[in-house]
Amino acid sequence: MKPFSFLSFGKKSRRKKTAKNRRWLTKRKFLLVASLVVLLLAALYIIYLDFTVRTRFEGRRFALPARVYARPLELYAGLKLAPSELVAELALLGYREATSPREPGSYQWRNQQVELVTRPFTYGDGPQESSSLRVSFAGDRVTALQGRADNAAIELLRLDPALIGGIYPGNNEDRVLVRLDEVPQLLVDALIAVEDVRFYSHRGIDPRGIARALVMTVSGKSVQGGSTLTQQLVKNFFLSSERTVRRKLNEMVMALLLEVHYSKEEILETYLNEVYLGQDGNRAIHGFGLASSFFFDKPLMQIDLTEAALLVGMLKGPTYYSPRRHPKRALGRRNLVLGEMAEARFITDQQLLAGRITPLGVVDRPPRGISPYPAFLSLVHRQLRRDYRDEDLRSEGLQIFTTLDPWVQRSAEKALSQQLKRLEQGRGIAADSLQGALLMTDVQNGEVQAVVGGRDPRFEGFNRALDAQRPIGSLIKPVVFLTALQQPQSYTLATLLDDSPLLLQQPGTDDWQPQNYDKKFHGPVPLHTALAHSYNVSTARLGLQLGVPSVLDNLGRLGVDRQLPGYAASLLGADTFSPLEVAQFYQTLASGGFRTPLRAIREVLTFAGQPLQRYPLKVEQVVDAPSNYLLTVALQEVVQQGTARGLHRYLPAELNLAGKTGTTDEFRDSWFAGFSGDRLGVVWVGRDDNQPAGLTGASGAMTVWAKMMVGLDLEPLILPIPDSIEHVWIESKSGLRSAAGCPDAVELPFVTGSAPTESASCGPGSKGNPIKSWFERIFK
Amino acid sequence: MIALRRIIPLLLVLMLVGCTVVQPTRPRPVASSSSAVVALLDRAHSQNAAGELEQAGASLERALRIEPHNALLWQELARVRLDLGLYRQAESLAAKSNRFAAGNRTLQGENWRIIGQARSGLGDYRGAQAAFDRAEQE
Repeated sequence: MKPFSFLSFGKKSRRKKTAKNRRWLTKRKFLLVASLVVLLLAALYIIYLDFTVRTRFEGRRFALPARVYARPLELYAGLKLAPSELVAELALLGYREATSPREPGSYQWRNQQVELVTRPFTYGDGPQESSSLRVSFAGDRVTALQGRADNAAIELLRLDPALIGGIYPGNNEDRVLVRLDEVPQLLVDALIAVEDVRFYSHRGIDPRGIARALVMTVSGKSVQGGSTLTQQLVKNFFLSSERTVRRKLNEMVMALLLEVHYSKEEILETYLNEVYLGQDGNRAIHGFGLASSFFFDKPLMQIDLTEAALLVGMLKGPTYYSPRRHPKRALGRRNLVLGEMAEARFITDQQLLAGRITPLGVVDRPPRGISPYPAFLSLVHRQLRRDYRDEDLRSEGLQIFTTLDPWVQRSAEKALSQQLKRLEQGRGIAADSLQGALLMTDVQNGEVQAVVGGRDPRFEGFNRALDAQRPIGSLIKPVVFLTALQQPQSYTLATLLDDSPLLLQQPGTDDWQPQNYDKKFHGPVPLHTALAHSYNVSTARLGLQLGVPSVLDNLGRLGVDRQLPGYAASLLGADTFSPLEVAQFYQTLASGGFRTPLRAIREVLTFAGQPLQRYPLKVEQVVDAPSNYLLTVALQEVVQQGTARGLHRYLPAELNLAGKTGTTDEFRDSWFAGFSGDRLGVVWVGRDDNQPAGLTGASGAMTVWAKMMVGLDLEPLILPIPDSIEHVWIESKSGLRSAAGCPDAVELPFVTGSAPTESASCGPGSKGNPIKSWFERIFK
Repeated sequence: MIALRRIIPLLLVLMLVGCTVVQPTRPRPVASSSSAVVALLDRAHSQNAAGELEQAGASLERALRIEPHNALLWQELARVRLDLGLYRQAESLAAKSNRFAAGNRTLQGENWRIIGQARSGLGDYRGAQAAFDRAEQE
């Protein structure tokens, strides 16, 4: 409004004298107004800065990566657990051996017992306090859990889960938050001595510090910041790293504002958690909490004087003073910090002298921050992204509880890398040319226990378990046979299939003439034998009778949620699938015809430990019990006497394992999918360049599968027999009813009423040569 | 205290049996020989009573990790899902329980009853009736 009144004033002017006076007045007014405007703008700007400072400081102060945990190990009497497994788990959790364990996270072995003090931990169903207990073993089994104080039996107890990785913010900042009361006073002293001696007395900026810095800079001694801790925090927190006067002014104003709103303690705590202290690959180490574990492998609370001095010394240049890369430089810097501390009377001269000759104490290898299980982690990340925004995963500090079983994972990794090497050496295959991938799941609940994405399990790149799309060859056959067995009036395990030459001619496509692996034709073969020996021709003919679409529909029901073009060659596995997809549809077969989505996550908790989301077990019956039973019995025959019989070199026949081998054209892909009573494993072996690998399913993938399972103490596969199943003796070559003891007789399960009625020459009542069948072993 | 914990699930099972026809000649379903499973089942029951159905489900899943072939646990989980109105889940879980309940007609009968209730919830009244009929046969 004022400028307008100034304009109107001129019109009314009549006398020169007064006009001069008035002009002067006008000038003054103008100046006043202008300065008011400037002040107003400045005030507005400060309000804006104030707003920025407060919202950013009070809002989400730090982007906290999601923390990903393995499954917690549940201990209970009766648990199958080798003492060596428990030792491995405790090592993974960083439990320390102690003579009489009292601290949480310590243990002691004594004969067949472990004395153990667990760490407190908050799970999805609430907190579990630390407890002190004794675990007794007999062989590879836990026999008792008792409280050490009162010897009372403990029914069950979870060890805290191992941290297996994080999902980091876009800038890859990682940190472990600490509260000020967890920070050793020595560290705070060192920080204040070196960075900001008047921290507790200034109001955000320190004029004396600035003056000193100016003098130092002008005299050319050094370019010193003169910034207070508050200013440094502001700089890290809100501003870019450019060096301009404007930025410096902003920094000072914001520092003053920060001090108006927040206590020294709050500012210090935030500073301690914010600062950058090192680099681990592309992961940035932020805050003293993480730096302490990164450099010394211990919690910040436990660091001593020289360690505190080293960390504080590194603030000036975490790369330049890196104690791992430049230990001499770091040592010099640390001793300088000790000197400053002595000068500020935080430590005595003796402490200074003793400190100067103390070694750096940095651990050679930082504890792993980047996940040791990148393939599993990428599955977790993928499943989480269905439900969470990526930025929330990377910043909200969510706690992700997964299904990874480190013991199983280790066994799987070892099996894959060692066996691929052995295959290359034993078969004259070029070294490092083979690749592989595998998944292991829990048969009944679909939890993924292990994922290996390649022969180097630490490699973070291409994850073959999830992303390699390869033809699966004969792994598809069980779906063809299942489709048949679901029509018990037309097909049974004894049905004779035609394995004579087949030529499929369709307009618009090339002629199709499937061949068997042995290049022979087998004439009429019982359905169960065709699967056991993986005959292509009879399978193709069966599939064509059933119709390719009905086979593929069945595959969809079993768990492959995508449209497939559906060529005749699909019946022999020409379509490509990832190992994960294969695991999904074999899971359904292995769990009795119940489709159970594979899960890598059990639940998600907030940063504060509040349950956010559970991923409950879901099952859907997609195959009727009798059909699934018949198919599984046939898959057991594959292992007992079919293409996977070589498994017996590694695993006892009593396990009654079920499985299927798969080999593709020119030995490009070697597959094996198989299951016991408790675990399902899917293995692929081949070459990344899709060149022939020279391995069948049985000579390649199956041997990896076997090696992986050997150390896992599998449960035998004991199939519950559905009510509507009966067992009938059949003469194999004719498919007619026979009797126990007749030549060529096998006892096969049938859906009640579907068994052949016509009798073979050696029928019920006659006597023949007793033949011991593998079925007898199963059903006895 | 421990004896009490063992008795509670047994009582519940008895109540469950009482819902059908009590036939003392048949073997009574025992929850589990594992005290860990009994403890978890116990916890699931109290969570259920407190209306914490999701947590009850979580406890049952924990128990199932210990005894994945325990038909009673699958049935309890089916019932929790039924109470949550997750009818398809309830139906499939009861069928899964049946898979492991061979020879245990009491459990099977109860599973068919759950299947019947689930199907009613889904509006499949004919299917429900068939399941209830089946329950009577068991």
